[in-house]
Amino acid sequence: MGMTIAEKILARSGGVERVSPGDNRPFRPDHMIAYDFPGYTDVMFKQMRDDFGIETLDDPDRYVLFVDHMLSHGTAREEEVHAVTREWAQRTGAHYHEGIGIGHQVAAELGFARPGTFVIHFDGHISGLGAFGVLGWGVRRDLIEGWITGQLYLDVPASSRIRLEGEFATGVDSRDLLHHLIAVYGADGFVGQVIEYDGPGARSMSIDRRQSLCGMAMFTGAVSSIFNPDDLSLEYASRVTDRPFEPLSSDPDAEYVRDATVDLTTLDPQVVLPGSARAANTKPVGEVAGTEVQRAFIGSCVSGRIEDIRAAADILRGHRVSDSVELHVVPTSNEIHVRAQAEGLLDALAQAGAHIHRSTCDFCFGYAHPLQPGESSISTGVLNVSGRMGSTEAHIYMGSAYTVAASALTGRITDPREILRAANVGA
Amino acid sequence: MSALETTSRSTVPDVFDGRVAWVFGDDFDIDLIIGVQNIKSYDTEFLLSVCMDAYESGFAGKVQQGDLLVAGRNFGYGHPHYPPMVAMRAAGIVAVVAESYAPGFYRGETFNGLPLLRCPGVTGAVERWDRLRIDWARGQVENVRTGDRLASEVPPERVQQIWRAGGSIPLLRAEHARKDGHGGETANEEGT
Repeated sequence: MGMTIAEKILARSGGVERVSPGDNRPFRPDHMIAYDFPGYTDVMFKQMRDDFGIETLDDPDRYVLFVDHMLSHGTAREEEVHAVTREWAQRTGAHYHEGIGIGHQVAAELGFARPGTFVIHFDGHISGLGAFGVLGWGVRRDLIEGWITGQLYLDVPASSRIRLEGEFATGVDSRDLLHHLIAVYGADGFVGQVIEYDGPGARSMSIDRRQSLCGMAMFTGAVSSIFNPDDLSLEYASRVTDRPFEPLSSDPDAEYVRDATVDLTTLDPQVVLPGSARAANTKPVGEVAGTEVQRAFIGSCVSGRIEDIRAAADILRGHRVSDSVELHVVPTSNEIHVRAQAEGLLDALAQAGAHIHRSTCDFCFGYAHPLQPGESSISTGVLNVSGRMGSTEAHIYMGSAYTVAASALTGRITDPREILRAANVGA
Repeated sequence: MSALETTSRSTVPDVFDGRVAWVFGDDFDIDLIIGVQNIKSYDTEFLLSVCMDAYESGFAGKVQQGDLLVAGRNFGYGHPHYPPMVAMRAAGIVAVVAESYAPGFYRGETFNGLPLLRCPGVTGAVERWDRLRIDWARGQVENVRTGDRLASEVPPERVQQIWRAGGSIPLLRAEHARKDGHGGETANEEGT
């Protein structure tokens, strides 16, 4: 019996020949990542010192800290939070990266996402590293088990495989695929599993789209998602790191709980109604088209990459955002920001009336420019429970960057394909 | 009492029983228990005062120490934060019995020492205020009112150790703590 890529990565991390779903044993992650947040990382530092006597790290290279939250108010409180993290990193030698983008993206840019490795974080969106053939697992407070002992106990998850065929139609992207999977299989359709994306549609998908898809794994019930490495992801990894790495791939006779096929060409843009991403809230854009919005957001750890910004520019170039809408665009990292600037995308968006901001997590959780009572927003953020982006009396719809940009243009939830078709006709 | 003390002091007995204080549906986002506007609070009294406000006023006052929650599939869906269960535990809730859990929620509350039992079929077999007798090591959940017995999943060995220790920190401390007698409780809060 063969093993899946996730099982192989865990077997390597566990120092054993093989693992099977359901095995519970300790695993040793290659990197253990956190972003700083008050009452979280500072408490972990204190707990490590006070309860466990840990003042120095045996292997600081495995510890990675990002400062990507709480960057928008410019207050002494923000600086105080980051200073604690900075000081700890300086003292222990842990990696520390402040204000250069959202960690789940920057981790890839800085070579912490080497194919075949195992990475943990307290935050579940680390699963986005699955785009590179990395098993990224959000383990919540158990991160401290890793930080203290160098390893942590996990149940080996079973895997399901989704074979992707065809390519996305114009105006459709991997956010739509993700929400389609929830609509079809339910918000617990893959509970406790790893989703493995495979097939020609997976191989034709850009790295950005893969990251976006994998980064939303938790909303399918999965603990993570992953792509087998291919030329595209191996080329990326080789470009960003000098460290050696050994990619792993699933065996042809690996076992899957579910083996499904999705034809990407048949997908429509999806919109998630306010509340949560569960199946009953997930609708083809046509069913909610016309709903007025006053706010729009393109950004987050899953949807603010160059392809998302290109998508927005495709929709908005040469037009104006509706007078009734405030559109915020926040590139996922500074590197992406610079590239989008160089491609002329940010200028095109700014000329269309979008507000462009430095990279941060702050919009997605309502810390920067919070929604006001009664406002409706359409967002590429990760979550739309009431109150997530500001007032609990605001409504958050979610969709792809295409759908958000098209809706910002018209002031109503809009099928982006209509705008793109009209643009082509006019060209 | 700090947030961590509220959430990790008691170890889990092998057999216990309690009343069903509430039955949640499928895909329930637990942040709604206290309202998303309150998820950064660690003021236990405040959290108690808003607990289940959106569903039933005075909920916490009806709960007795030792009561249970029952839930449908995928309990804890979304970005589950810790304060909702701080509120529930302060109200008296000692365990959850659900059809299934969102993995992040399961991991986070297991860390905190709250026993979460997986018990397929439970939502169809109980009514609010029924008494359940739980023998988790044997994988049995019995509805005392109806006599119905359901099979629950026996938790993995490591999870059993965490329950018996009263949470991951007490377990880790027993396994790895500094030996000089220093150190103490540290409250732990939440990211985004």
